[in-house]
Amino acid sequence: MNKQRKTNLIFWLFLAPVLFTFIMVIVIPFFMGIFYSFTNWSSSARADSTLQFVGLANFKNSFQDPSFIYSFIITSLYTVLNVLFINAVALILALVVTSRLKLKNIYRVGFFIPNLIGGLVLGYIWQFIFNNAIPALGNIIPVLDFLSNPDNLVLSKVGSSVTALVIVGTWQYAGYIMMIYVAAIEGVPESLFEAATIDGANEFQKFKNITVPMVAQAFTITMFLTLVQSFKQFDVNVSLTAGGPSAIFRGTPLFGTELLSLNIYNTAFVKNMLAEGQARAVVFFVVLVVISVIQVSINKKKEVEL
Amino acid sequence: MVMTALTSLVFAGGNNEAGTSKGATITLMQNKPEIDGALKDYAKIWNEKTGNTAVVKSVGGSSSITLGQQLKADYAAGDMPDIFIIAGIEDYKEWEGIILDLSNEKWVKETSVAFTKDGKVYGFPVAVEGWGMAYNADMLSKAGIDPASLDNYEAYRSAFEKLDSMKDKLGIDSVVSMAAGPEMGWVTAHHNFNSLLSNGLPYGDMSVVNQLLKGQVDMKRLNEYADWVELLFKYADKAILTTGNYDAQVGAFATQKAAFLHQGNWVDPNIKAANATFKMAFAPHGSMHTATDGIFVAAPSFYVINSESKNIEAAKQFLNDMVFTQEGQDFMVNKAGMIPAYSNVKLNPAGQLSKSVQQWAAEGKVYSWNQYNFTGDFRDLTLAPIYNQFANGSIDKAKFIELMKKAFEGLK
Repeated sequence: MNKQRKTNLIFWLFLAPVLFTFIMVIVIPFFMGIFYSFTNWSSSARADSTLQFVGLANFKNSFQDPSFIYSFIITSLYTVLNVLFINAVALILALVVTSRLKLKNIYRVGFFIPNLIGGLVLGYIWQFIFNNAIPALGNIIPVLDFLSNPDNLVLSKVGSSVTALVIVGTWQYAGYIMMIYVAAIEGVPESLFEAATIDGANEFQKFKNITVPMVAQAFTITMFLTLVQSFKQFDVNVSLTAGGPSAIFRGTPLFGTELLSLNIYNTAFVKNMLAEGQARAVVFFVVLVVISVIQVSINKKKEVEL
Repeated sequence: MVMTALTSLVFAGGNNEAGTSKGATITLMQNKPEIDGALKDYAKIWNEKTGNTAVVKSVGGSSSITLGQQLKADYAAGDMPDIFIIAGIEDYKEWEGIILDLSNEKWVKETSVAFTKDGKVYGFPVAVEGWGMAYNADMLSKAGIDPASLDNYEAYRSAFEKLDSMKDKLGIDSVVSMAAGPEMGWVTAHHNFNSLLSNGLPYGDMSVVNQLLKGQVDMKRLNEYADWVELLFKYADKAILTTGNYDAQVGAFATQKAAFLHQGNWVDPNIKAANATFKMAFAPHGSMHTATDGIFVAAPSFYVINSESKNIEAAKQFLNDMVFTQEGQDFMVNKAGMIPAYSNVKLNPAGQLSKSVQQWAAEGKVYSWNQYNFTGDFRDLTLAPIYNQFANGSIDKAKFIELMKKAFEGLK
């Protein structure tokens, strides 16, 4: 009994710092946020700034705003592309660095390093590459002349800007996802491959019938991580494209690569409508939860237990 | 361009000398990254003289991170600075509840451009600023263009055409350095937009602004303005126009790759840093077919004191010292290169464009800054994408006019 109590005490003692932080910076702000989304809160010292309940007005206004709808569409598009690209690249890299390759540890570190650079810095570096380095390349190499034509600037069109976001997103995140795949691939028992080799299976058959089902657990994790990461993309969006270039949606000119997080930020801090921004964040949260629950349950079904 | 310098300068202790209050710490938040270093140096001198500490925070330089956003976050966190910046009536309304009445301050008598509301003085003008079309005088004389003739659309059109045909001879890439990219909405939807609002009107005339705010559009004025925007975009370097940032835009002018620059006198320090030695000055905007002989000059931003501050006296002293001490004046004019808004300050800034603004102002040929009568939201999220569409070539002039008209009609 005494020992039981002591174990309990130690349990809570170790948990306390994390629990305290979690409650202070996640749980309380989360519920405050939901509360504010039903009010006219503005965090300013306006003459008429008393806190009032406005019901569902913030949610209604959000769905009537073309920029919010547009952000949803462009974010979904970006997420699909980004998830596909990151996972494809990460899996290929993982297969490469788990094969019999010289210096494979150095490659692993090299591919992982972009993940350690902050998204803002990364965005500015790539903005320089797209705006200055690539056109300069066009000036030097005559064959690539078209690159220096201002009409072909990557960040001057919506379509290519989304592609640019995907490229940078992949460059940043593929190394991290690669590490998860590497761990999973190395966990596959060698005996399975040996048996397959004896049976005369070729490399592709081995990959399809052994590697893929055996790393299905990793797929659940990587799909979840990349999905959430892509949906929440903010820092690279701000620094690389700043929401531009503009587009016209339903007759309204708006920012063409304004992903949801940036849309929420702009609503709150540029439009000065903090409560409405908060309402959008709540919608964003609900959508993200639904999508990831669906994704995880689908992926779970495909996992195999050995 | 990472222009967000959020650094602080804390000098604990310090020698105590003369001064009305001692040992207080005030926080000042301002939006001019280009004077951040000079202001921090001055804060250090002020600390040595008065024993008070001033912590300087600078936010700004791009439209993605602005002072207003930082203030909102700080206000929500209960960490509002003691002195901060407002840029006119819309900002004033945002912070009305905590802005201190400064009518009885000593500096009020020395300036004519303080921020006032209902007869009370609230804002300390930071500087007088102005913009027009900055031109490279050496280049214009080489091309045989008289800058004095540049005061209407037709004069600009023929000048741009002539310069464009002499590109190789002059060694320029484009005629005018203009930016309309996603981060540069403040050049188009704030500054250029003001040509529509105040060009050719008596100083302080709000007739066009009030009409537009009511959703009434003067189509003749808008059409002429659209011609002007089209002209600027047509003769700009397309790479800088669509994706360039502030550095790229100012750099093209400073390195003599463009004959004109669509910016204000705040570029003086950048141009100096680029070691540009050619002669330059401002010409009026050509947004109308009739001649408009003047540039846009105003005190656009004001220091205000937070009435909930614990160190109001020290904050007031900081502002007074800037105007009435030698060190303060030296900071404003020589170190920060600003045009002083105070009659007792006899120093003159060294920058050529600042001098040009002073000259236009001395002749009384000035038009007001009216863009701050529109909300930041309207300028940054509604107008900026329209300019960007036009710059990218996604829409033509007729569509530009139509979208602008629709945007104004949405205001009522």
